[in-house]
Amino acid sequence: MGAYILKRLALTVPILVGLSIVVFAMMALIPGDPATAILGAYATPENVERLNRQLGLDRPLVAQYFTWAGNLLQGDMGRSFALNRPVADEVFERFGATLVLAGAALVLASALGLLAGIISAVRQFGWTDRALTLLVLVGVSTPSFWLGLLLIMLFAVELRWLPASGMFAIYGGGDLPDLLAHLAMPAVTLAVVAAGVIARLTRTAMLEVLRQDCISTARAKGVAERRVIYVHAFKAALVSVIPLIGVQAGFVLGGAVYVETVFQWPGVGRMLVDAIARRDLLLVQGGVLVVAAFYVLFNLLADVAQTLVDPRLR
Amino acid sequence: MTCRRSALGAAPVPAPTPVPATAPAPATALLGAALAAALSVAAPAPAQTPPGVLVVAQIAEPQSLDPHAVTAVNDFRILMNIYEGLVRYAPGTLEVEPALAESWDVSDDGLVYEFALREGVSFHDGAPLDAEAVVFNFERMLDEDHPYHDTGPFPLSFFFSAVESVEAVDPLTVRFTLEAPYAPFLSNLAYPTGLIVSPAAVGAHEEDFGRNPSGAGPFRFVEWVSNNRVVIEANPDYRDGPPDLEAVVFRPITDANTRVAEMLSGGVDVMVEVPPDNLAMFEDDPRFDVHEQAGPHLWFLILNTREGPMADRRVRQAVNYAIDKTALVENVLSGTAEVAAGPTPPAFGWAYNEALEPYPFDPDKARALLAEAGHEGAELTFYVTEGGSGMLDPVAMGAAIQADLVRVGLDVTIETYEWNTFLGRVNPGLEGKADLAQMAWMTNDPDTLPYLALRSEATPEQGGFNSGYYANPEVDRLLEDARRSTDQDERARLYREMQAIVQEDAPWAFIANWKQNAVTSAKVAGFELQPSFFLLLRDVTKN
Amino acid sequence: MSGLRAAMAQLARNRLAAVGLALCAAIALVALAAPLLPLPDPNATAPADRLLRPGAPGHPLGTDHLGRDILSRLVWGARVSIAVGLSATAIAAAAGSLIGLVAGYAGGRVDGALMRAIDVVMAFPYILLALGVVAVLGPGLMNALFAIAVVNVPFFARTIRGVTLGLSRREFVEAARLSGASHATILFSEVAPNVAPVIVVTMSTTVGWMILETAGLSFLGLGAQPPQADLGAMLGEGRGLLFTAPHVSVIPGVVIFALVMSINLLGDGVRDALDPRLKAGALAAPGAATAVRRSGAGEPAKGEGLAVSGLVTEFASGGRSLRALDGVDFAVAPGERLALVGESGSGKSVAALSLTRLVPSPPGAITAGRVDFAGEDLLAAAPERLRRLRGDRVAYIFQDPLTTLHPLFTVGAQVAEALRAHAPLGRKAAREKAAELLEMVRIPAARRRLDAYPHELSGGMRQRACIAMALANDPALLIADEPTTALDVTVQAQVLDLMRGLAEARGTAVLFITHDFGVVSALCDRVAVMYAGRIVESGPTAQVLADPAHPYTAGLIACVPVLGRPDRALAAIEGLPPAPDALPPGCPFAPRCPHVEARCEAARPPLAPVGEGRAAACVKPLAGAA
Repeated sequence: MGAYILKRLALTVPILVGLSIVVFAMMALIPGDPATAILGAYATPENVERLNRQLGLDRPLVAQYFTWAGNLLQGDMGRSFALNRPVADEVFERFGATLVLAGAALVLASALGLLAGIISAVRQFGWTDRALTLLVLVGVSTPSFWLGLLLIMLFAVELRWLPASGMFAIYGGGDLPDLLAHLAMPAVTLAVVAAGVIARLTRTAMLEVLRQDCISTARAKGVAERRVIYVHAFKAALVSVIPLIGVQAGFVLGGAVYVETVFQWPGVGRMLVDAIARRDLLLVQGGVLVVAAFYVLFNLLADVAQTLVDPRLR
Repeated sequence: MTCRRSALGAAPVPAPTPVPATAPAPATALLGAALAAALSVAAPAPAQTPPGVLVVAQIAEPQSLDPHAVTAVNDFRILMNIYEGLVRYAPGTLEVEPALAESWDVSDDGLVYEFALREGVSFHDGAPLDAEAVVFNFERMLDEDHPYHDTGPFPLSFFFSAVESVEAVDPLTVRFTLEAPYAPFLSNLAYPTGLIVSPAAVGAHEEDFGRNPSGAGPFRFVEWVSNNRVVIEANPDYRDGPPDLEAVVFRPITDANTRVAEMLSGGVDVMVEVPPDNLAMFEDDPRFDVHEQAGPHLWFLILNTREGPMADRRVRQAVNYAIDKTALVENVLSGTAEVAAGPTPPAFGWAYNEALEPYPFDPDKARALLAEAGHEGAELTFYVTEGGSGMLDPVAMGAAIQADLVRVGLDVTIETYEWNTFLGRVNPGLEGKADLAQMAWMTNDPDTLPYLALRSEATPEQGGFNSGYYANPEVDRLLEDARRSTDQDERARLYREMQAIVQEDAPWAFIANWKQNAVTSAKVAGFELQPSFFLLLRDVTKN
Repeated sequence: MSGLRAAMAQLARNRLAAVGLALCAAIALVALAAPLLPLPDPNATAPADRLLRPGAPGHPLGTDHLGRDILSRLVWGARVSIAVGLSATAIAAAAGSLIGLVAGYAGGRVDGALMRAIDVVMAFPYILLALGVVAVLGPGLMNALFAIAVVNVPFFARTIRGVTLGLSRREFVEAARLSGASHATILFSEVAPNVAPVIVVTMSTTVGWMILETAGLSFLGLGAQPPQADLGAMLGEGRGLLFTAPHVSVIPGVVIFALVMSINLLGDGVRDALDPRLKAGALAAPGAATAVRRSGAGEPAKGEGLAVSGLVTEFASGGRSLRALDGVDFAVAPGERLALVGESGSGKSVAALSLTRLVPSPPGAITAGRVDFAGEDLLAAAPERLRRLRGDRVAYIFQDPLTTLHPLFTVGAQVAEALRAHAPLGRKAAREKAAELLEMVRIPAARRRLDAYPHELSGGMRQRACIAMALANDPALLIADEPTTALDVTVQAQVLDLMRGLAEARGTAVLFITHDFGVVSALCDRVAVMYAGRIVESGPTAQVLADPAHPYTAGLIACVPVLGRPDRALAAIEGLPPAPDALPPGCPFAPRCPHVEARCEAARPPLAPVGEGRAAACVKPLAGAA
């Protein structure tokens, strides 16, 4: 197990290196440069050149890459051009916010998705199944950015139950209830699609498991039906659902860009969109790396969880 | 697009007044008490802002609170309340008046400016604001060998590139010597790039000064929680008496819709840059007050005069006739702008040519001109941006303009670009790429825009913004003369003449002058927008 | 292709999919017909008529912020969105499938390199990747389309690689390889056709997502260039008007939703129709107890043991129903050991499962007969009553312990669970008892084995654990369904021994299901032989073995090798048992019977006594004729 994890961790290194090269190349190919972005209207070639010199961007790209990589190895992710602060500070702060949002969404999506999937598999072809199947389809068919807008209109502006945006109240907040109040709408918005996908996968996995011999054995033993479904069948289905939840994490992280935009959530997705717009190379680089590393680690975690559930994989 | 600069008269200089030192301190405590009171946990109607604390919805997270390091109007809105400069714009105008400098003198040749500082002013951190401090400020920006030059970069330092030297004559006198006469110098000093920062704080925080600002303005910095808020509180020792507000909280809310939602749900007291379509809704609602203020802003289309159909003046005039500017400002922009007549916004009252009438909406005339020029049905490429400071609603405006041009028989294809890509394509010149491009400038001096964007020597190849390659020697001469003149009446005459020529030559399609707007909650009093587009909160109250 | 026709039929049967198809077709038709419809120019602005509400004259759905007709823009916009979604799907599918095919087929380093590259793309947050692609290529619908395709390539590549990996180890690929075909030929003429259905299924479930993605990019302003309408761009442009003119963004939102929803409904239908597992009806979840649909309950049987009479169990398959049991009668007295013998397909396992209604339902259902146990009609028992009987009074042992034991629970936990399902035992006590049970079935180091998982035990050990589990609650009746078939011969004998010993010691009645007469004599008092869903002969083991009455019984006995007589010819029965839906009108064994006569084919002979305690369903029994 330990060796396996180490091997997997080692495998992430080439992925991250590849990714960082892709990001550097991509940022180099995008027209416009950070100096233009900073100077805006004053971006005359002369001013741009002067600022690029100050920012150290007049050096060849390859040299810049190696400087960056060298600093990274010493734990320094560089300084953001646009924000005048260390990339690491900004990235980790924003990533924390995204983690809260994406984590809540993923937990919500998994809980709802698994439950819906189980129920609709057990009640296969019954009206509950049909209703859930339809609901799940509604979930995977709703544009999340649109849903977010509708939620704000209803719960923040009309009913005034929930704050419209942000992560904490500006004053008096900062505690858990405050966070939850701010988290409710964005997390739901972000969870809807993933919940639908997980529900569909769970339903299929459950249907497959429920006809296996070991389920008949459990029933032949006189195990209560609840236990047959929620312990025997569910655990077996989980083996095939867990890796898919890992993949969903990627989609949730991606979808967070829309949700963070609509709800003004101070997360890393929105930060990256802004950073690309501002050509803030080091910030993009740092942000993408952290998100990707997290994604890879999360999938590793999913694999480990799968192994914990299924002793045959050990 | 943000541009600024102003050049106006010259005059005497102030002396420092002490501003008691208060480091960015236990401000959270004060706020904690005052603010926390307002919010009981997760109750419905979660957002009620406490009295005495003004919550302002900003359009973005500030880049930095170092006034010399930033370029965005969004950041200026905070900075103008933390810092003061030697001079400032008198409220409601773009005329320069004394601030930290009590008075100033300008030499007859326009090369030497001597400022008398107010006595007894100190920075928030307690250090005295004296002539040495002022010299430090300008040398940090301009002298590459200055020990704190590396706390930059200072993208707008070229505002002061005419400055040859800055000296402290005595503790309360500062002398600037220019390389050449430069009329906009004073106006530039009133700009945020001319705000005076505390040398002691720069020394203490170095490159992180932007996150630990210290100035001499009416409010002092409390905290900056990234992506959440910037908090400033009243400076009890402000030279002109402390402000009425206890504190101001600036919240970055990048999405206009979300800003509106927050305003509607009571989460903020002030929002700026209200989407035009929401303005009427706020106007009809007694809970809110709507503020409007015309500013020195121009929204226009750059026309590529170097090649293609637009090289023909008749075609350029046809474009000006073909666009229904009234429909644009009245409908698409819901009356948040006025039709522009020429290259200089009317907000520069003294330099504006009142005699100019905007090109009327006359599609027939446009067709006739096109026919005369033999360019009916010309295929044109039109650069549109998705957003950007001062660009208003560029995609909708672009679509409406495109439809107007199609109506007079031009075949116009839109290409939209995200703002920085757009700038990256437009600023180097339109040659070989496009025939029309959207653009907008906010300036603080009538010199700035035409000098940077209409002179034949200001083409992109020569480091200017004349992306449409307009060239008229007469215009060049008028602009150079106006810049060197120290007589405002003389300058005004030159600018008016220039406007008439440019309007006739039509290197641009002149579309609109924006009226900046803001919405405040009815609890807020004393709020006024400035033509400079700054946000001055010194005299605002909130019950 | 009948497969295709069947798929279409399946699709048509799925009502939700039909709704999706109809809606999808309607939207597509309207979109296609856009140029022909009497719609205003979607790009003609009229700023004075901006933001008209739905229902305004000349603008059924109102106008947008530039006074353009929303209905017209919707129709033209849907056209664009659908085209982009479909093309992006096609491009992603083509590129992804190619990568997947090559990686899966080539394996080794090529596979590793390709999959690492795919991992890099996967690890990149997908919207940012799309943003990056658009930023590099410049804005525009084609570039957005390309960006979305790129972002979705990994999805196809991974799916297709998995399938290809499985296929490329199969015989027909091996055969092609041996025949000297080039790799490209094998890949595209042997592997690709087999992967095609998976590609189609993946595409059908992805199109909706792609359209959402396109809308998302347009929403962020990176898709269609103004003034061209596209649903996402309309939503994005209308979003700023959410509070003042909600219809401008709500209407396109609803249309995107309806479009994607209909595509997803249709996609699900396509998946259901093409997925081999679903096609076989295999993906149906059986309930806790077999459905009973009998017209009358019949007469209750007396006695303490098990009595089965007239039992009919049917399976629904493709709209027809097949009789697996066609009126089965037999009885097991307390303490008696009965062997139910027959070839596979004879219905013996179904009979065993029907007793406590463990036949998977759907598709199975009991449509007639009675099962009385200790004076109670099990077919009428409530599910909870059945649960209490199962594993307690009536216990089962199944054929393959590897599949019947739950792979994810320890053996100890599974035995303990059998105990705790029927007795209020604490965790610890149950574990203790489980250890005793494992010792009872002579599992060495039983205590250590408690924490072993099934895959860590040998086949014999696993079956012993199953026996321990079955005997946990000291049942009155033990039903053993081919418990030794999956074991090797020496182990078989040990397990049989163990079973007999325990049953004798405890006085447990046993119903022993087997196809092998060889093991019957060692264990059972009586034998019942099944053929084509009915009992064809029954009687005491020794008598039946020595002197079978039914030619089928004789045939089965002749198949058994006899120790010490290797010279004895093993006579296999010619032919195969008839399929349940193709029973001959007369004796179902007639086509295979060496003694067949004309009357055999006239009517199915009933089970009739052929001597003391014996019966046979044969017009001309071989022995014991009364």
